Amino acid sequence: MIDLTTRAWIAREDLDRLIALLREDGRKVVGPTVRDSAIVYDEVGSTADLPTGITDEQAPGRYRISKDSDGSAGKSFDFASSPTSWKSFTFPSKVPIAKALRDGDRLAYEEVSHDSPRMAFLGVRACDIAAMEIHDDVLAGGPYIDEDYADRRGKAFIVAVGCARPSGTCFCASMGTGPEVSSGFDIALVELDDGYVAKAGSEAGQKLLDRLGLEEASSVQMHAAAGIGVEARARMAEQLGVATEGLRDRLMAQLESTGWDEIGERCLACTNCTMVCPTCFCTDVTQTSDLFGTETVSERQWASCFTLDFARVAHGNFRPEVKDRYRQWLTHKFSTWVDQFGSYGCVGCGRCITWCPVGIDVRKSLQQVAPVKPPMAGTLKPVPVSANPGSYSIATVGDVWPETKNVYTLLLKDLPEAVCCGTPGQFLMLDLPGFSAVPISISRYREGEIFLTIRTEGATTRAITSLEPGSQIGLRGPVGKGWPLAEAFGRDVVIVAGGIGLPPLRPLVDEIFKSRGHFGRVRLFYGARTPKDLLFTEELKAWAARDDISIGVTVDRAKVGTWSGAVGVVTHLFDREPIDGSHTTAYICGPERMMSAVANSLAGQGILPERLFLSMERQMQCGIGLCGHCQMGKNFVCKDGPVFSRRELGEMLDVEGL
Amino acid sequence: MPVPDRDEPTRVGVVKFASCDGCQLAFLDIGPALLDIGVIYQIVEFGEASSNRSPDGPFDILFVEGSISTDEQAHHIRHLRDRAAVLITIGACATTGGIQALRAWAGNDGGIEGFIDAVYATPEYVDTLATAKPVADYVDVDAELRGCPIDTGQLVELLTATAIGRRPQLPSEAVCVQCKRAGKICVMVSRGEPCLGPIISGGCNALCPGMARGCYGCFGPRESANGLSLADWYGESLGLSDEQVAARFAGFTGWAPEMREVIEAKGGPPGMRADDAADAEGGAA
Repeated sequence: MIDLTTRAWIAREDLDRLIALLREDGRKVVGPTVRDSAIVYDEVGSTADLPTGITDEQAPGRYRISKDSDGSAGKSFDFASSPTSWKSFTFPSKVPIAKALRDGDRLAYEEVSHDSPRMAFLGVRACDIAAMEIHDDVLAGGPYIDEDYADRRGKAFIVAVGCARPSGTCFCASMGTGPEVSSGFDIALVELDDGYVAKAGSEAGQKLLDRLGLEEASSVQMHAAAGIGVEARARMAEQLGVATEGLRDRLMAQLESTGWDEIGERCLACTNCTMVCPTCFCTDVTQTSDLFGTETVSERQWASCFTLDFARVAHGNFRPEVKDRYRQWLTHKFSTWVDQFGSYGCVGCGRCITWCPVGIDVRKSLQQVAPVKPPMAGTLKPVPVSANPGSYSIATVGDVWPETKNVYTLLLKDLPEAVCCGTPGQFLMLDLPGFSAVPISISRYREGEIFLTIRTEGATTRAITSLEPGSQIGLRGPVGKGWPLAEAFGRDVVIVAGGIGLPPLRPLVDEIFKSRGHFGRVRLFYGARTPKDLLFTEELKAWAARDDISIGVTVDRAKVGTWSGAVGVVTHLFDREPIDGSHTTAYICGPERMMSAVANSLAGQGILPERLFLSMERQMQCGIGLCGHCQMGKNFVCKDGPVFSRRELGEMLDVEGL
Repeated sequence: MPVPDRDEPTRVGVVKFASCDGCQLAFLDIGPALLDIGVIYQIVEFGEASSNRSPDGPFDILFVEGSISTDEQAHHIRHLRDRAAVLITIGACATTGGIQALRAWAGNDGGIEGFIDAVYATPEYVDTLATAKPVADYVDVDAELRGCPIDTGQLVELLTATAIGRRPQLPSEAVCVQCKRAGKICVMVSRGEPCLGPIISGGCNALCPGMARGCYGCFGPRESANGLSLADWYGESLGLSDEQVAARFAGFTGWAPEMREVIEAKGGPPGMRADDAADAEGGAA
């Protein structure tokens, strides 16, 4: 029975007994030791071989070791990561895999034994355990199993040591693999100044601890051990990480990004990143024979997608340019690996950054190629003004003007700073005391001002649109998730608005114009009931005159002689115009039935449901996901939306009464 | 590369031009396997090893060491090309021009005559071209073995592959690949030692980085060699001056186009830089 609750105390001098027991059991003990100005993993005979009092410092393209100077001089595991990973032992750079004999036209194959030594790995970090688990999936997860790997890995005894000193290139916390060791070990240690807090993670680990006859760790020691991981995490939080949310899709949407060219200019295609990566598993099989070809030995050796030969075929090469190879590597690590093996191919150990001869930083590459937010001037993370449903900030009405008979635009000024930092598609809760608060989407951001375009439907909206310039009004927001513009980077954009659905889309158009180069062809289709219901008509004319956007407008009905444009539902506009669905992202806002019809029509033209975005309407009272009114299936529309992808909505969209 | 007919012994020659003979020694370094090689290959011309010579061939395979440095050599290599079915260049001199190719920059320092005057006691006996160029600049070359000197292992692989009739495994990958496979610690990242390994063809099994010094590029640039990016790093992160950067690139394979690009961008090799010429003129005035 594995005791997962108690922790044992291994005094510093007792670690030698642990090493001795492992050796007694016939294991080769591999741990950190100093060689060639680095802390490497190699065979250790006792604690005398460990890098006690030595630490490392790492930065992009730079690694140095030095004597510990910050008071933890007695520690043996006070460094971040080694130049090469444990892969060198579980998956060596070169192993014989087959031997063939050829005598005239007769062939014979000889089995190669995979009788590797029984090893114990001392000092494995959480990130490297995660890497081994990834290798287990890739190399031993079936249906075909790499025998040599399975043999070495199956025999290995893992003594993990929690990481106390992440380096400047570490980002395990953002990859979710560390710094605390939580699984995949036989024994896990946390190093304190005078010894180690130990726990078993397997039967074998527990037996070994039992043989050492240890005292239980005190609560003070356990508390100190818990603090080590917290401190390491805090340290990493202060440096660059990887934003993993949606990363798989964000990256695959950027296959044509110019960012690849920029990185390709710097990249040496030297393969160092892949060689030091603990999860990179690509190999070559090389054959060596005698001069007569009678005896041939095949060896499996580390290969890299950065070499030209890697993608060579008879008629040429699939990845001739360096940027092609970098893209292959990065997208595999952070995107296609997920599809193949169910996890990222990166554990955040930072070795590829440290050991890149020209310091290319994978964290920056991801930011550059697949940014979380569009790189737009003045767009900050939206900050709710208040989380209290009853409290509002005060703004001043700068101006009010009619757009149509029953639609007005309010210009608000004297705004709280956060309001101006909202994103397209977000909305405000607008409050005129005495009336109930209403959700109003923002129809334009301008320096220190916002526009709200409101249709007068009831008493509240009538009261708000009747305010005189200079009047004050309460507001909260911006709130909700807006249009995910990054999803359209490098693609064509189709925007479809119905009626009062145009105002929430206008800031999206504004933002597209600000960074127009990021997008392919941009088209806006707009339908209203009658010509008199069309909003922003002057602006539509101005847009139509530009050559970087095309505008299509239609009305449901028009009196004879008052309208020379198209008549009919909005889907007719783009039914006639071919859309390259595989390279298009669409943003739709209007009545729900209209959005459903448009989404179906665009899906029919090949736009994936994850790239069709709709802004949903429900009753919203608080706007911050607390009141429960706006629930739609598993979502609160105010907080989880109002913008959703067609995929997120799934069946919910066409369910009446949901 | 045409496969020699196995029924007849394959006639092999080893000849040299402007070079130090070191690559020829790689043949002798093969050791006992030479006996096997002798079964398949008949060495008909190898001045370094035997006085029993057929300098005119004909050759099934001719190994050529050295760069073309004189008019006479230019003439002779064309003649030998006609006498050889397969011509394989060996070593940095034959494949890239070698260290002597750096004299192409002599124009900044009194020209080739100035060099000859400075080096030789009786310059009037020296008849040379202004350049020392790779063999491939004069005749078609079927294959090359790189390095200063070449690697015996690669030579054996080439002879083996040719005997069997397969493509030799002479990877164009960087020195770094072999360095990392061997578990060596990168001298540039861990010690700030400028190393050309990332842009240089492997084949030496990372000999120099294993001795705690940077690669000096004797195997020459590999495919996709991005010398300018590496040179930027030397300057910006390792703190080398332009002249020091140029000096690192202007070694045994400095005349290779990818190396030359960097040397030119950094003002030329030490002692032969454009500003050296200006200094010389200034001194004369």
